[in-house]
Amino acid sequence: MIIEADVHAPSGPRIWAIGGGKGGVGKSVITTNLAVAVARTGERVAVVDADLGGANLHTMVGVPSPRMNLSDFISRRVATLAEIMTPTPVENLWLISGAKAMLETANPNFGQKGKILRHIAMLDVDHVFLDLGAGTAFNVLDFFLVARKGILVVVPEATSVENAYFFIKAAYFRKLKQAQPRTQVKAAVDAVMNSEARARVRTPRDLMAQVMTVDADAGAALMEEASTFSPSIIVNRVERAEQARLGDEMGSACRDYFGIRLQCLGSFPADNLVCRSVDERRPAVDLFPQSSFAAAVRSAASAFVGVPTEAAG
Amino acid sequence: MSPARYEDWMLLDLEPGADLAEINAALRLRRALYQPGSLATYNLLDDDERRTMIERIDEAFRRVTGHEPPPANSPPTAEPAAAPKVDEPSGPAPDSRTEPGALLAFYRRSRGMSIEQLSAETKIRVTLLQQLESENIDELPEAVFVRGHVLTYARALGLENPNEIAALYLAKVKLD
Repeated sequence: MIIEADVHAPSGPRIWAIGGGKGGVGKSVITTNLAVAVARTGERVAVVDADLGGANLHTMVGVPSPRMNLSDFISRRVATLAEIMTPTPVENLWLISGAKAMLETANPNFGQKGKILRHIAMLDVDHVFLDLGAGTAFNVLDFFLVARKGILVVVPEATSVENAYFFIKAAYFRKLKQAQPRTQVKAAVDAVMNSEARARVRTPRDLMAQVMTVDADAGAALMEEASTFSPSIIVNRVERAEQARLGDEMGSACRDYFGIRLQCLGSFPADNLVCRSVDERRPAVDLFPQSSFAAAVRSAASAFVGVPTEAAG
Repeated sequence: MSPARYEDWMLLDLEPGADLAEINAALRLRRALYQPGSLATYNLLDDDERRTMIERIDEAFRRVTGHEPPPANSPPTAEPAAAPKVDEPSGPAPDSRTEPGALLAFYRRSRGMSIEQLSAETKIRVTLLQQLESENIDELPEAVFVRGHVLTYARALGLENPNEIAALYLAKVKLD
């Protein structure tokens, strides 16, 4: 809540972050299509390519060579993010292109990261969709945690599911760490992690239970922090009916195992027209509006439209 | 036997007081989640932990219903019949004004659906579906029936705005 309060000015944009641990599961395709679907309802949307190592969102929204990108902002060639916000062929949709494979910007330091987030929160749009890179680097996790909603994309494959759980666990521990600047909480966590109880801490839920036994107040503070962690999930490339249940099943497993709420936003069908749309460098919701994929995207996008700006969720 | 606790309902993913049909359905889903082949828990729990979860779920079922849970060996899932191969559509999506029939066929194929499958779902004859797709005006029934068929077709595919598609279809076949 500490960071959220900083970022969500009452009139600022709603920030949605799309991540998912594994590369190649369709994060950028989903980010683009959700953003376009929301923009088509008349609300103003910016997509930010926050894949700071391998930016390619510009291709998907039909802006082949953006004039400026995040490197220009990080290296201070421009003063505000608004200056690098590029219009796209889609009405009400703008692009903030990612830095192109610049090693120094792939790992922005703490100050740079904070600056990017502050400026994102000042953009004059209704929604910001952050397309995060693969992996669980702190940069990715911090962008994920700062969003109104962090959305994980998985495909029905064991490796993708494994990566998603790893991501959830990493993000959750990171979130709990944000409660730790309070000395009392940190002391209680350290007491657990330096004792033989450490062996019993396999999940964040275990950690909280152990901290509770050491210091009930510190445990309550951790619980409060944890209760604000509720990521969402989208299952992509669903081919069979039983795969469509994966999102809800992972939600049940997360509740049982981590003690957190993971909400499934939708199951998107495997649809060859999506590959075709990527080849054509146009969003599937525009190029094949009647495809089964587009229908699923529009249905998921309706959850984003009309959400009040005040940080409520 | 000990009475049901709130935890038991939680374990079954139910609100306290759910009826027997809901409890049975929940038992099936919750057991499936912790079966050895379950994608959602495969990486999260080892075999022992999974067995323990199923035992806890069964125990919750006993306390909630006062009955023994049905045997765990779930009926074998029938292999779905291999779907006939459908040619993927190529080229851009046809224009809904000039080629509404081709548009329907395009999105049918994109969903991997054969004309026979669509016929089974919509109860519209295969030949009539073919005539609709090819806009074979001479063979089509009266406008009012065509409208109904196009609506049924578009709804079976889950297309947006079936009414608009039907209107465009009728406009086209009348104009020609």
